[in-house]
Amino acid sequence: MFGTDIVTFSVDLLIIYAIYLVVSLTLNLEAGYSGIPNFGKAMFVAGGAAAAGSVSGRLSALLVGINVSGDYSNNVPLIINKLNATLSANPILSVEILLLGVALAAGIGAALGYLASYPAIRLREDYLGMLLLASAQFFQIFLRSYPPVIGGVQGIEIPDFFGWANTGVGTRDVVILGVVTLFAVSVYVYFEKIARSPLGRTLRAIRDNEVASRALGKDDVAMRKRVIVVASAISGMAGALLTFYVESVGPDTWSRQDWTFPFWVIIIMGGAANNSGVAIGAFTYAFLLKAIDKGKFLFQGILPSTTFNYLQYIAFASLLILVLALRSEGILPEKPSFTLKRDTIANLLQTKPIAAEQNPDDSPLKKKN
Amino acid sequence: MAIGLTLTYLTTKVPNFAYGSFVTIGIYSSLSLYSLYGISPYGALPLAFLLGSMSSAGMYLGILRILARRGSSLVSLMIATLAIDIGFVGVFGLYSDYLYTAFRIIYATNFPQLPGDFSLFGVPGIVFAAPYSLVLTTLCLFALLTETKFGVAMRASIENPALAKVLGINVEAVYIFAWIIAGGFAAMSGAYYSLWLPGGIDVGSKLIVEIFASSVLGGLASIYGAALGGVIIGASEILITTAGVDVFGSSVGIYQKGIPLIFMIITLLVLPEGLISIKVGKVLRWTRMLPWIKLKSLLRLRGGN
Repeated sequence: MFGTDIVTFSVDLLIIYAIYLVVSLTLNLEAGYSGIPNFGKAMFVAGGAAAAGSVSGRLSALLVGINVSGDYSNNVPLIINKLNATLSANPILSVEILLLGVALAAGIGAALGYLASYPAIRLREDYLGMLLLASAQFFQIFLRSYPPVIGGVQGIEIPDFFGWANTGVGTRDVVILGVVTLFAVSVYVYFEKIARSPLGRTLRAIRDNEVASRALGKDDVAMRKRVIVVASAISGMAGALLTFYVESVGPDTWSRQDWTFPFWVIIIMGGAANNSGVAIGAFTYAFLLKAIDKGKFLFQGILPSTTFNYLQYIAFASLLILVLALRSEGILPEKPSFTLKRDTIANLLQTKPIAAEQNPDDSPLKKKN
Repeated sequence: MAIGLTLTYLTTKVPNFAYGSFVTIGIYSSLSLYSLYGISPYGALPLAFLLGSMSSAGMYLGILRILARRGSSLVSLMIATLAIDIGFVGVFGLYSDYLYTAFRIIYATNFPQLPGDFSLFGVPGIVFAAPYSLVLTTLCLFALLTETKFGVAMRASIENPALAKVLGINVEAVYIFAWIIAGGFAAMSGAYYSLWLPGGIDVGSKLIVEIFASSVLGGLASIYGAALGGVIIGASEILITTAGVDVFGSSVGIYQKGIPLIFMIITLLVLPEGLISIKVGKVLRWTRMLPWIKLKSLLRLRGGN
């Protein structure tokens, strides 16, 4: 029971971890570094997932030559096997559609982020939080009620764009793991670079004191817009990758308790504005999630499986409140801003002040007579 | 519901995302009493009020006050309320699982409207009961806040807590009272809700959007504004959707829940303080000026002095 089981469990866990990590990092950028309370994260991930899911499926049907006479959603179960077979035989086509799906997800995510940035600039935190929460809720209702996008209530199956990797036992999952790991690592490096750069310091300055940073000439409006757009685009991509992994997309997944709240737990538990902390938090959360899944399996006859979901909500809610009360900085607190190394500063001090002494009129301060 | 939310906002300055779950408490009180003992949801009102107010006070005392004293930021407090809301959903889920395993009630997680309403002139009683309750509640609150000593103390505590404390008012007691009323009102609304609309474990969580839209529309800092906002949002949802369906066909029906969202967006962009900030005097004076202006220009044209 534990032989191959633990390998599949680990691979699944790591894939989910990578995706959760990416979304948590984007929330960390928005909320931790820039102070934008995004209570509607689910919307941006869902947008990317829906875009990738609905378009890539239709596109592959078109390219493979199947005519669905305008009604894709209902015909999916009939054509999915044929699509999978054709895609498995055509790795290049699969990868092309895959990349297109992810790019489109990024685009839709960015567009949604752009829309969300207008209120983000004007509203105070409490109103903004409420507005984003409301938008995410309505977006889920929209996905559920408007069938042309992702099949309405039941959702749709997505063809397997990694089918060409099915050369051995579970190799498809390993290939996906490779792809998402690459994605997660790139995002992590990218965000860490931002955090340690002058841009990162500017964001934190804007977060801590908007008026002062504006007085110093920083355009907080433009910065916030950019942050939301980038964060939403990347969240969309994560949603797309998740969709391609599970080979289906439906509206019921993207609820507030499943795709907004967990990331807040992660960044607060791990440490807001600290990407390493978020990495730890995300792993803890993903691990607990998967462990609870297994637990459900073990208790199958004794308790209804839904009990574990509910216990999960209560457990994570309590965990979050405990962290807020006892250690609000999280596991790894925010580090102070990184500046130049001491040697560099010493070197600079040795050259610059001498220049100032020699040419006092070059001083930036105007001397009054 | 909006009145209660505004009460919690006025006292703590934190939007309470868990407020919707207090409504769900009322819904589940009705369900329990009805399925287990056959009592109509009207009979559940006292129980609902009790449970709702206790949970509300518990939330304030146990969690928010402690976090606020530790200096948590506004966003942290908001997240805490969000967490409490999700915790509540879990609790309701566990309770419905319990109802299932102990009493074989299979529909506890998602159930249709409860019967047990009375009929007045052939129309369900709730159509009269709910609006009258609202008017009665608002009037009572108004009387409380303006006529009684405690009510005046309450207004003082909300407007200027520091000064109120100096005057010897027990501001904490006032806040606790406000939260008790807020939770109780929410739960009672929940009991009414179960008579008219289907219930479930996350009904309250979903409602929070509309409750917030109502409060914002009326003015987040005004109790009467909240009442007004609630009525407008509730009415518009139904009226606009019905009108839309008449004009565009039934596919428009899905956007019903988007109406509060749109109201909220418009309010925040155009009138951030809510309807209550429209100075009626100013508007009236402006309209009264119009005939005078016309008269003046007429006289001038005639060359009058």
